[in-house]
Amino acid sequence: MTVRKLLLAGGVLLVSASAASASGFQVNLNGQKNNGMGGVGVALSLDQAAMFYNPGALAMVRESGVQIGANFAFARNAFIPETGGGQSNLRNTTVTPANFYAAFGPKEGKWKFGVGAYTPFGSELHYANNWEGRYALTDINLRAIFAQVTGSYAITPQLSIGAGLVMLAYGDVDLQKDIPLAAQNGAPTPHITLNGKAKQTFGYNVGIFFKPSDKLSVGASYRSQVDAKIEGGDVRLRDVIASTGGNFTATNFSATLPLPATASVGLAVMPNDKLTLSVEANLVYWNVYHTLDFTFSGNNGYGTTPGLVGGSSTSSAKRYYQDALCFRLGGQYKVTDGLTVRAGGFFDQSAVKDGYVSPETPDADRIGLTAGLSYDFGKHFGVDASFLFEDFMKRSQSQADLVNNGTTDRVAGTYKTTIAVPGVGLYVKF
Amino acid sequence: MNFSSKHTLPALALLGLTLGSCQPTLDDNRPAATAGSADFSRYIAVGNSLTAGVSDGGLYREGQLSSYPNILAQQFAQVGGGPFVQPLFSEAQSNGTGYLQLTGFTPATPTATSAPLTASVTSKLAVRGAVVTRSNPATNPQPIYTKDLSEVNNLGISGIRMSDILTPGFGNVALTGGTASAPTSIFNSYFERITPDNSNESYLDRVKRTVASIKPTFFTEWLGNNDVLGYATAGGAANSITPAVTFAVNTGYVLDALTSGGAKGVVITIPDVTNIPFFTAVGPSFRANLDLNKVPVAAAPFIYTTGTLAPSATPGANARVTTTLSSIRDASGSGNLLLMLTASPYVSFYGKVSGKYWRDFYRQATGAYPTRPTDPAFNAFLGGMGVDTTQAFGQSSGNPFPSTLVLDPTEQAAVASATTTFNATLTAAATSRDLAIFDSNTFFRGVAQGGYVTNAVNNTAGFISGNLFSLDGVHPTPRGYAVVANEIIKVINAKYGSSLRQVDANAYRGVQFPQ
Repeated sequence: MTVRKLLLAGGVLLVSASAASASGFQVNLNGQKNNGMGGVGVALSLDQAAMFYNPGALAMVRESGVQIGANFAFARNAFIPETGGGQSNLRNTTVTPANFYAAFGPKEGKWKFGVGAYTPFGSELHYANNWEGRYALTDINLRAIFAQVTGSYAITPQLSIGAGLVMLAYGDVDLQKDIPLAAQNGAPTPHITLNGKAKQTFGYNVGIFFKPSDKLSVGASYRSQVDAKIEGGDVRLRDVIASTGGNFTATNFSATLPLPATASVGLAVMPNDKLTLSVEANLVYWNVYHTLDFTFSGNNGYGTTPGLVGGSSTSSAKRYYQDALCFRLGGQYKVTDGLTVRAGGFFDQSAVKDGYVSPETPDADRIGLTAGLSYDFGKHFGVDASFLFEDFMKRSQSQADLVNNGTTDRVAGTYKTTIAVPGVGLYVKF
Repeated sequence: MNFSSKHTLPALALLGLTLGSCQPTLDDNRPAATAGSADFSRYIAVGNSLTAGVSDGGLYREGQLSSYPNILAQQFAQVGGGPFVQPLFSEAQSNGTGYLQLTGFTPATPTATSAPLTASVTSKLAVRGAVVTRSNPATNPQPIYTKDLSEVNNLGISGIRMSDILTPGFGNVALTGGTASAPTSIFNSYFERITPDNSNESYLDRVKRTVASIKPTFFTEWLGNNDVLGYATAGGAANSITPAVTFAVNTGYVLDALTSGGAKGVVITIPDVTNIPFFTAVGPSFRANLDLNKVPVAAAPFIYTTGTLAPSATPGANARVTTTLSSIRDASGSGNLLLMLTASPYVSFYGKVSGKYWRDFYRQATGAYPTRPTDPAFNAFLGGMGVDTTQAFGQSSGNPFPSTLVLDPTEQAAVASATTTFNATLTAAATSRDLAIFDSNTFFRGVAQGGYVTNAVNNTAGFISGNLFSLDGVHPTPRGYAVVANEIIKVINAKYGSSLRQVDANAYRGVQFPQ
């Protein structure tokens, strides 16, 4: 059974993405229990989601189990331009990052094997009609579903390691913008959509987990970069002005988007058997993202020279992201045998440098606050609930900044974003 | 406690909706627009076609509505600015004087070597008649337009020079005509539009009258472009550059009139006209075509005339200059000859036996094409300039490229020198009156060198593709006027401590392409 079939068999809602809930277009909503604890996980062995946070910790999860989770991200964004009119808001959409994990192994054995699917990257934004940045971007929907097979081995009762083979199982991108050409007689503004599916590519993750006592655990993990490569994506043009058609002949595009590596280290303390507290730091290697380059090809018959968009067969946009650090703090408290409550928070550094903010990722330093709970119904079944609220710092860039950086392909102004993400999960363990 | 998914899911969704609807607001924190030390309640604009809103070679309602004074007035209105009246053409006559529209390209795909095709809009015009003037004989009378005698805030008059502001009868249709021995004053149809019948009021008189009645608190002044542009667009073959003394004296008159009631304002310098598409579009596209056809430009002769072009024996008239095609400025800036936009229909006849230019020139001068197969008058006309149309056009002394289509280095130097002098005069006059200065010369030079981005849209000084200059290659598009308005706003804010908001220039169109 292939990973994909297994995923589908698992019945996971795989149509998923998010207004990026972590730096860049990263989404850190990959385990419902972790979501309630500020996103910590590398130094914990809470449940099967360990295979995402630290595959080394999976061997320390006692029970075998299957779990699914879904999140409902409500992103709200406001923009005021440096020039011109008032505030424009996103056309609101809800996106639903989801996760699925299943892990098996003998109860007291040293091995655990697992499969999982999750959505560590994504972004969906629909800007207001006629907003000032419409020639940079009107809509983006970037989706990436990762699948993973994991093995984890407890070398000693205190030390375990693990590794996973990670696959970009499904990825697609939909980018839209208006074309800054005017037609006579008030005909509509031309519009372009770039829509393509990423090739399936592979990466890995590795982790190590050490729990010297009942009161302390530490962990470290690394997840590799995976490139989302799109070849033969569709170029769709709407309302092209006939007399300019010769500059808009492309039918296909190719592009590559790096989905960067992440390194995490963390520490957890368990002062008593009811309370767990954990801190961790993540470093996301965003600096691999230098430019977003498109190459166009094909001929739709509007003109003689093939592969043109706006008279050019390529386009390149500066990104020059920076590595982003995130600091997380979270804890859980077991109130009764059945009920566990959680809380946490994080500070997530922006991957986007000043003067490089583009509408596809209106990134900023942000603070997140989370809460969550789990309730066990008997020994084998339970539900998780989580809630995350993220507050992005207000972020401004002036036209002068853009001119200085050579990043005038985006719009000057001030962005402010908040995201609320309730989530729910179900699990069985045995 | 009992948590069932049945209850939890709707509860979570509700929680999400409640908190998710916390739409952030930025407007509340934004500083309000303020007037600073200026008072924008009554604004008037003085200037030429740029102030009137001319675009695409004509004055029409859309251009008027997008004129930079009208855009400024909209932004002034946010900080106490009052109504701003323009001599708008009515909806029924919205195409005003008529204007150029793009009809396509030849070849059809727009490239560096393709030429745009344009046609004049001839419907919904505001033409009420035509009169014979000194410059326009009965064969080619000058149109006059529907009048608007309201008290207007926008005194932009197409074609007016700084040297014209004292001219009596500048807008009196009764004084047109005259004879060669007793010529009447130069007559301006656009000033006639807003001038009462039979009034000999000069432009300066009108400014004074407007100042007295409107009592402006703020003004913009942008005169002087035509004092050098007319010479340049004629290739130095006609129209003279205004003497520096006249320019300085008249600048003083108009600024004194405007500031007589204590108004604050902005004085705008004149841009170097050789940066505009009228002079930069045809040469590079011609050179690109030559390169495409592998013409050895460094060896191929290019012969043109310089100075006055007319059938006359005046010494120095119709003088030939011999050079090569590599002298024509290309896209990289190499070469020192600028070809006018008006040369566009003729460059393709280079090296061919053609009398097309001379027949068109004859019609301009006399109002009729020469008769075929032979026309003695036409032959005499050609003979007066030493032209023989059986020789190769632009390649021979007998059939030279005419000076009216070429701005040569001598003429460019005259233009540059006059621009510098006039701008020094304007700047000094503004400084001594403590007025704000928008140096449009520096601004447009920057645009010519590096373009101007408006909210992710690249605009350049390029013809058609640049979106800032309209189809006449001289006047801005509505986008171009919006950009000018934004730059003036920056200058006002800096000088008067105001915080006027700029407009979204992309909300104003560039060049319109045919479907």
